[in-house]
Amino acid sequence: MNPWREWVVIAAIALAAAGGTFLIKGYPNRLFRCDPATLKPDELCLDAIPVGESVLWVDARKRSDWDKTGVPGSVLWNLDPAEDMQAFEADAAVRIVASPRVIVYCGDENCGVSRQIAERIRKLDLGAEVFVLRGGWRALSEAGRVKGVNPKP
Amino acid sequence: MALVQAGKLDFPQTLKEAHAPAEVTTVTTDFEFTNRTDKPVTIAKYDSTCSCMAVTIKDGKRSYAPGESGVVRTKFDMGNFAGVIDKTVALWLDSDPEDRPSLSLTVRVHIPVLVSMEPKTLKWDLNGKVEPQTIRITMKYDKPIRVVSVTSSSDAYKYEVKTLEEGKSYDLVITPTDLKSPGLGIFRIETDCPLEKHRIQQVFTTVRRPSPSDAVAKP
Repeated sequence: MNPWREWVVIAAIALAAAGGTFLIKGYPNRLFRCDPATLKPDELCLDAIPVGESVLWVDARKRSDWDKTGVPGSVLWNLDPAEDMQAFEADAAVRIVASPRVIVYCGDENCGVSRQIAERIRKLDLGAEVFVLRGGWRALSEAGRVKGVNPKP
Repeated sequence: MALVQAGKLDFPQTLKEAHAPAEVTTVTTDFEFTNRTDKPVTIAKYDSTCSCMAVTIKDGKRSYAPGESGVVRTKFDMGNFAGVIDKTVALWLDSDPEDRPSLSLTVRVHIPVLVSMEPKTLKWDLNGKVEPQTIRITMKYDKPIRVVSVTSSSDAYKYEVKTLEEGKSYDLVITPTDLKSPGLGIFRIETDCPLEKHRIQQVFTTVRRPSPSDAVAKP
C-alpha cells in the first residue's frame, strides 16, 4: 500500500471511530465540574448549596454584568476604582447581618477579586460564614441560577 | 539566585514582590528571561488571571532564538485593592496544551493601608450590659492624618473621638443607649488624608442575639 493510501485508510478509521463515539455519547460535555477534593478551605461547590437555601450572594464582577446576569437578590461588591467602596460595604453589611452564609462569586474561574472581597467581608466580623464559589459565575450560569440565562443540560 | 526553567525559557525569578507607594495607581513589574536551549522558542499565548493586570511582551516579540533574552511586563491596576495581593500570569510556549501552560509568573503587590480601624465591628448582646467599646484608629502614613468628623447612621449610640497622638492615633468610643432591640449601626469617619481613596472610612456596630458559639467562647 502506498503511503498516501495508507494515510487515507488511517484517517477513515479514525473518523469512523470519532463518529461512533459521537453517536453513542453525544456532544462533548464541557460543563464546569467542581471536584470537592480540590477545594480550598474557603471554597464551596455549587452542588453544596441547594436552591432556596438562605444565602447572601455577593457578585464581584463589573456593575454592568451584575445588572444583566447577576444572581437574583445578590449584592454587588467589586474593586472597580470608579465604584464607592464605602457604599458597597454598607449595603452588604445590612444584608450580611441577616444571613447565616455569604458566598462571593466572580466572572472568572480563577478570579482573585472574589477572594479579596470575601476577606473584606470576613474582616467585618458580622457573624456570617463567608465562602468563595468554585467556578464562579460560570457554574451559576450553567445551573440556570442567574438572571437572563437558561440552565445547560 | 536559582534559575527557573520553564521547559525552554529560563526566568531568574518567577515570583516578584512590589511594594507600592500609597500615591501610585499602577505597579509595573518586569520578568526577564533567556532562551537557553539550542532551538528557537515561541511564546504562543499568555494570560493574566485578573482583568486588573495587563500583560505585554517587550517589543511585542514572540519568538526567541537560542541565547536571546526578553521581558514579560505586567501592569497591575491597584484599583481598590488593599493589603498583600498575589496575581499570576500563565505562559504557553510552542505547542503547550491549552490546560497546561509551561509556567506561571506571580506578582506579589503590597498595597499600604493608610488608615487602619481595629476592630471593624463592635458587638453587643441583645439585652446585655450597656457599656462602651472602643475602635482604635491608627494612621500609617509618613504625614499626619487627622480625624475630621464622625457621623452615625443611628441615634441609638453615643460616641466620642479621643486623640491619643495628633495625626497618628485615635480612639472612637461608642456606647449604645440601650440594648433592647437588634440592629446595625454604621459610622463614617472622615479624615484629612490627602489621598481620596483612603479619606473616608467606615465601621459598624451590631446589637444581636448571642450565638451558641459565643456561649462556648465565654463559659
